Amino acid sequence: MQSATQHLSWTKPLTPPAVVLPLKTGIITGLLAIYSAAVGILKLFFERDVIVDTLTLGDLFLATLAACCGAYVWRKSTQAGHIRAAQAFAAGLIAGLILVGLVVAVTQLNLRWMFTALSADLSRTLTYKQGALAGSLMIIAASMSAALCGALLMSMSDSLRRSLLWSMACVLIAGVFQELIQISLRFGGAVAAIRELLYVWGGLTVQGAAIVFFFAFVVLQALDARKRRGAATTLKSPAPKARSQLASALLLIAVLIAFPLVAGSYIGQVMMLVSLFVLMGMGLNIEVGLAGLLDMGFVAFFAVGAYTIALLTADSEYALAQDTFLPSLNFWSALPFAVLAATLVGVLFGLPVLSVKGDYLAVATLGLGEIVRVLVISDAAKPVLGGAQGILQIPKPHIGSFELADPVSLFYLTLVFVLVAAYIAWRLEGSRLGRAWMAIRDDEDVAQALGINLVQSKLLAYGLGAAFAGLAGAIFATMLTSVYPHSFSLLISINVLALLIVGGMGSLPGVIVGAILLIGLPEVLREFDEYRYLFYGALLIVVMRVRPEGLWPSPQRKRELRAAEKG
Amino acid sequence: MTHQPLLQVKDLHVFYDQIEALRGVSLSVDERAIVTLIGANGAGKSTLLRSISGILRARSGSIKFAGASIEQAPAHLIARTGLAHVPEGRRLFAKLTVDENLRMGAFRRNDRRAIEDDRERLMDMFPRLRERTAQISGTLSGGEQQMVAMARALMSRPRMLLLDEPSMGLSPLMVDFVFDTITKINGEGITILLVEQNASLALQIATSAYVIESGSISLQGSGVSLLHDERVREAYLG
Repeated sequence: MQSATQHLSWTKPLTPPAVVLPLKTGIITGLLAIYSAAVGILKLFFERDVIVDTLTLGDLFLATLAACCGAYVWRKSTQAGHIRAAQAFAAGLIAGLILVGLVVAVTQLNLRWMFTALSADLSRTLTYKQGALAGSLMIIAASMSAALCGALLMSMSDSLRRSLLWSMACVLIAGVFQELIQISLRFGGAVAAIRELLYVWGGLTVQGAAIVFFFAFVVLQALDARKRRGAATTLKSPAPKARSQLASALLLIAVLIAFPLVAGSYIGQVMMLVSLFVLMGMGLNIEVGLAGLLDMGFVAFFAVGAYTIALLTADSEYALAQDTFLPSLNFWSALPFAVLAATLVGVLFGLPVLSVKGDYLAVATLGLGEIVRVLVISDAAKPVLGGAQGILQIPKPHIGSFELADPVSLFYLTLVFVLVAAYIAWRLEGSRLGRAWMAIRDDEDVAQALGINLVQSKLLAYGLGAAFAGLAGAIFATMLTSVYPHSFSLLISINVLALLIVGGMGSLPGVIVGAILLIGLPEVLREFDEYRYLFYGALLIVVMRVRPEGLWPSPQRKRELRAAEKG
Repeated sequence: MTHQPLLQVKDLHVFYDQIEALRGVSLSVDERAIVTLIGANGAGKSTLLRSISGILRARSGSIKFAGASIEQAPAHLIARTGLAHVPEGRRLFAKLTVDENLRMGAFRRNDRRAIEDDRERLMDMFPRLRERTAQISGTLSGGEQQMVAMARALMSRPRMLLLDEPSMGLSPLMVDFVFDTITKINGEGITILLVEQNASLALQIATSAYVIESGSISLQGSGVSLLHDERVREAYLG
């Protein structure tokens, strides 16, 4: 024993001194704040009110940064409670000091030649328009108290913390999306009373925010209590659980049907786009999530579906009906061909990359996807596919004499397809083919040794995945009534892959969550559109670090990662 | 009619790119026999098993299983003829439970009731697994994983089992259990080709044995005769 301590006495101490953690975290937080200011997104955040004339998104963003900093220090620190609190406090102080440093730098130096966002205006906003000294003190005080709040949150019970955070999230949603919510609450009577209770013309009021917060908090606490009681009494009863799952699924569908009617056609359009990406996400999920075949050229199938519809239905010189014996079809009769064509291309696509694995597969499929795009845009294909000008005048679908012309009715059309596709995807997952894919994903050699036909299963994964994308492409073409090659860029493939990662690989609800976050949210927050990919990057990194299984993982995936942590 | 071995490998040549891993290997395994293949690291033991089960493609030579030529057949079809390969290092579906792994073993089968019966029988053979049916197989101990790997292969009701280093990395107690199980499986009429580094134990249970050195068979004979062979003792039994 003694010799061991002697041995350790001349090595470095194993735990770093208590100042290192807050110092590091504070500096990172401060730099993040400076970064957000320098790229200009902070300025936009400051222009958006969460609570009218009281709290902007910018204030909230900085406070959240500081709170995260405090929470992180609290969680990582191994010290006793009061020292931990002091550490969080110190981290907040350091972050605040760094931000003050930015304010000083902006007022003393001219940084605008490099960072146009770092204006005197910004420093005025940062210092709460109180002048340099008072403002700086306020920044530091705010940063320290936010960090302390973060630490405080971490010291609470899980249930309380969850309820508090979600209630704050509700206030945030009520504030940031006030325009949409106010439009949805545009009716008279009791609805108008609610609206007037919470909102004024320009946004959420302080009173409204308080009401939303307390209402959400009470509901969440009640739900939590019920859940805990439920967990205690009915430990093993899968049947009611399945029933409640079905009930919530039906409720979700009802909300999805009613929502665009209430919220207007702009939301309808956003939801339409989201559901297109959900369709594609489910397709790519078959390839990547289930069969483990990383595909970066997924957009090619989307393009094939769209161009097939265009060639078969458009009233244009490129339509097949113009120079072949084929009749001009309507949307419904062309749709099976679009799906079939995408499936075929999927299988063809799969053939050359059958024996390619992992990273190499990503690169190979990337190339194949680009080949399709370049072919479409090429001069060689111009007489058939219209080159860069694309194919115009694709008719909208009709049901009887009713034309599905506006975004909301197209959304309903897509929703029907999404439901059908989700059912198919769900059944596939549990099928023999689904198990074969899973085996291939985990170990190709063993899968073969168990009698699984590698070639067939892989090609089926490509083909079926492509079918979903072809369906999405067909709807996309008729939605825009035209197709252009530049609509089918690599970015679409990346978007679909990213939404899978964020939502949770191999999980159907995850696809929906991912599509809402990565496709829907940026559409609704148009004013931040410039920073869309900054948001993507940040979200991807945060998800990978904090919740690598995705936001709504499949039960199996969750289990895997938990097992991996233990093992 | 002359005597026909269940598995017959003739003059097999296998290459990894330019490197010749097997230089004309011939070997035969009679029905219901336990044949063991011993040799040093890199001698070509695993390569031979992987070629037999079709994961690797031989450049020349022939492989006959149950009277049919399989050297050109794809791996999944070979597996369906009743040749089950338990690869080196277990290679379980680490993220699946023990039970799910076993069910994957029965992938090609549709006879639900018989699958359940087989599962029960295997649980009797490996009582440790019964306690762990719902456990993620990646979290099992090495010995338990080996049991799952063997049970998974047996779930396909094979005629012949290719076992690649089943005792690798196991505790001595577990090694004994694994070898007991191999004899037990063999007792049920399943032919076994066993690749092992633990030469003395393997030779003890083997009906016949081959020694492989740098890609070709250097010695062959009954298990007992090789156990007492001077060269084998020196090189592999120490």
